[in-house]
Amino acid sequence: MEPVDLDLEESALDLPSEPMTLNMGPSHPAMHGTIRMVLKLDGETVSDLDVQPGYLHRAFEKMCERGTWAQVFPYTDRLNYVSPLLNNVGYAMAVEKLLGVTVPRKGQLFRVILGELSRMSDHLTCNSAMAMELGAFTPFLWLMKAREWIWEACEEQTGARLTHSFFRVGGAAFPPTAKFIPQVRAILPKILEVVAEGEALLLKNRIFLDRTQGVGVLDRDLAVSLGASGPVLRSTGVDYDVRKDKPYLTYDEVDFEVPVGEDGDTYDRFMCRFEEIRQSIRIVEQSIALMEKIPAGSPDDAVSITDPRIVLPPKSEVYSTIEGTINHFKLIMEGVDVPAGEVYQYTEGGNGELGFFLVSRGGGTPWRVRVRGPSFFSLQASKSMIKGGMLADIIPTFGSVNMIGGECDR
Amino acid sequence: MPTFKLDERDIPFEKGDTIIMAAWRQGIEIPHYCWHPGLSIAANCRMCLVEIVPGPNQRAMMLDILKWDAAKNDYVVDRKPKLQPACQMQVAEGMVVKSDSSPFVRDARAHVQEFLLANHPVDCPICDQAGECKLQDYWMSESGRSKRMRDEPVHKPKAVPFGDKIVYDAERCIACTRCIRTCDELAGDHMLDLRERGNKAEVVLAPGRALEGDYQLMVEHVCPVGALTSSHFRFKARVWTLKETPSVCTGCATGCTTWVDVDPREQRAYRLRPRDNAAVNKFWMCDDGMMTYAGQHERRVTRAAVGREGGRTRSALDVAITRAAEALKGVKGDHVAVVLSAQHSTEDNFVAVELAKALNGRLYLSAKPAWRDDKILRNADQNPNRSGAVAVASGASVGTLKDLIAAVNASTVNAVIALGGHVDTDPNTLSGLGQLPLVLLASHETDLGAQASVILPAATSYECEGSFVNAKGLPQGFKRALRPQGDAAPGWELLSRLGRAMGLDLTYTRFKDVRAALHARVALAHPDHTPAPALSEAPAAATTTA
Repeated sequence: MEPVDLDLEESALDLPSEPMTLNMGPSHPAMHGTIRMVLKLDGETVSDLDVQPGYLHRAFEKMCERGTWAQVFPYTDRLNYVSPLLNNVGYAMAVEKLLGVTVPRKGQLFRVILGELSRMSDHLTCNSAMAMELGAFTPFLWLMKAREWIWEACEEQTGARLTHSFFRVGGAAFPPTAKFIPQVRAILPKILEVVAEGEALLLKNRIFLDRTQGVGVLDRDLAVSLGASGPVLRSTGVDYDVRKDKPYLTYDEVDFEVPVGEDGDTYDRFMCRFEEIRQSIRIVEQSIALMEKIPAGSPDDAVSITDPRIVLPPKSEVYSTIEGTINHFKLIMEGVDVPAGEVYQYTEGGNGELGFFLVSRGGGTPWRVRVRGPSFFSLQASKSMIKGGMLADIIPTFGSVNMIGGECDR
Repeated sequence: MPTFKLDERDIPFEKGDTIIMAAWRQGIEIPHYCWHPGLSIAANCRMCLVEIVPGPNQRAMMLDILKWDAAKNDYVVDRKPKLQPACQMQVAEGMVVKSDSSPFVRDARAHVQEFLLANHPVDCPICDQAGECKLQDYWMSESGRSKRMRDEPVHKPKAVPFGDKIVYDAERCIACTRCIRTCDELAGDHMLDLRERGNKAEVVLAPGRALEGDYQLMVEHVCPVGALTSSHFRFKARVWTLKETPSVCTGCATGCTTWVDVDPREQRAYRLRPRDNAAVNKFWMCDDGMMTYAGQHERRVTRAAVGREGGRTRSALDVAITRAAEALKGVKGDHVAVVLSAQHSTEDNFVAVELAKALNGRLYLSAKPAWRDDKILRNADQNPNRSGAVAVASGASVGTLKDLIAAVNASTVNAVIALGGHVDTDPNTLSGLGQLPLVLLASHETDLGAQASVILPAATSYECEGSFVNAKGLPQGFKRALRPQGDAAPGWELLSRLGRAMGLDLTYTRFKDVRAALHARVALAHPDHTPAPALSEAPAAATTTA
């Protein structure tokens, strides 16, 4: 095979090498556990590669066809498990679109707040892990500290740290707890501070900059044609963000910006994520303010709709009245009766456009659930980022793609 | 056929039809509790109220009402049309009826539902009816409202035994009187009646009586709620874990069509229900027939065995078939008796006849003895498929078991291949058979089993596909509900394997080949081609007792 780096005289002189095929992954920690890359190496240069997903395939979509519509929520937690609440919201909105119902205003703002907290945790995880993969362990611990605050707030609200299964068709499991909003308020400035410190630790570091700037470049047109979205696409300069371009929930009422990169390299992806954390904080702050403006007791002041054919009754009624028991029984045993039809509903997930395509033939069980996991499309793009680069650069580049196996392979 | 309009849809009807009956024939359910297509009309539940649009130049009957106006925070005077029970109202040509499309009807249903649930106990988690309860279904589809009554509900007797088959819960009862009418009109015995009125109403036994007779379980079957439960099914299974399969009752020659409800996880049948069939059993079954499912799991033969009783050993199925073929090898073909079974499917018997033809053997028939019949459903012949077994013999002489014993004693029969093995004569006369090679294909332990030299495990009618021909000559198919237990295989399959082991040309390996050959060679209607249970032949309910 023709060496790519012919212009690098040294390597051509010193190490006339045979092309070598190397398997990286699927059980390699930097492959995030599930991806296999078959590399063609010429020295340390990756002359070609084949990216192979599928090692975490667990029939997510098929499993959804067995239970009721509500029983899909725990599965969605396990798609992008770093931002499970965003997946919950995406799926809930798709079913609601089929049913033709809209969640009350407070429920919408609540979804925005929890969703953006999830997005922050997603970006903090990705960036900190990427820095760690370059040997920078301190920023990792630093940023994990911030993620921990977010998870504590989520735990306060949902009872779970990771797999929340919190949202429901027609709303949420509970209204905001008494402690939740004050807790979120308290952590937002602290997160901002940690993000600034994290940047300070990295952005003047020569090694970090050399290993990320100009490395893993993704062409803008290619990114678009491969269907990439989220930070991977925005780092190339395309300002596509579902929250702005096709606003849902209350995103059109809050003021925020869509950060974009210029070069589409690892550094831009990294910076896009950090900037999005700042924007998310703005969104959460404004949403809390909007939520507090809702007059108490008004129809807007509810997180769930009240239709008994969709939403479970309160437990106190289930245990004490026959109507509540029947309502609970029918919804649990038979599921929400979703009219026949098909919808595509897309939201901005942690990694980009998270779409749910649902087909109902009527009745309590989905006929088909198809997920457009943004990671899958980012993964496609990763080939062109890595090809022609150095073997060692695969790790930060692949880290910055933020491939999440749960959502990529499903 | 004349038609009327129901919610903008043209519905054909026959003279004398009520609205609900005409709609029901078209597969449209107008919500109801007390109406049952096989019973007289009571019109007491008021759930089926519909709005009848007055004809031209006719005035609607309107009622003055007080309606709550949320804006004014007060009641205002309003009017609404007088609604009519669809179960009692006879249809006339060109009538315009509004059911789901009328807001007054929807409102009335929700109110009826609220009254019915006012005193209803919170029993769904412990109620056998949960999952197939009309109260649950209609609350979800018609009401969705909470009750406004804040008083302590009326308490009534619970778990009252009505005889030893039925348990009554008065708190769950909606006093629709279906059970009372079933006793009166199906069993012809007024064993139940209603006591008190309004929210104190409850069903009681006639003084000094308990439920008795052969149709007690139908009382539970017609109950639209969980008030009547049967003691055999009570607390045994939850209905949403059961899977229904169309089947045919094996109890007698009437051949009532059934649903057999099995738990697929346990591979066990939990109950039978009558499958509506105007040609045979209408909506009903007798108690002995309903309970045949229990016998399907008792005294099963699930493994092959070789040797006479005493020295009998369990054997692999292949080995047993080989041993059976060896034992039959030395016997002259026309000295082999092939015993058909009135308990086995037509297809099993057909392959047995094919085997007999290939051997040039003689045909006999085993069956269960006669039992008590009645003028309602029970047939004196306890066998579901005597007609089918005789039909596949295509005119060849079929001897009885007594004839077989005589032939054995006269040494004109030197070996026996028997299906089923049920005995309708004195079992003590069978000992002569114990001296010959006797290959028995049986699903259950039978009297002939004591004499058999090889036993092959056959599948029951729940475990394979097949058909029975009832006493009136109507072939009816049944489907497989369970996996065959142990080594059991369908009778036709065992017989073909045995035939092949004996070097005969019996090539059947698939059920559909057997059925195709059967209908090519025997003049018998195909069970799939016989008319499906035609609901339109249901009797128009006779009298009004409201």
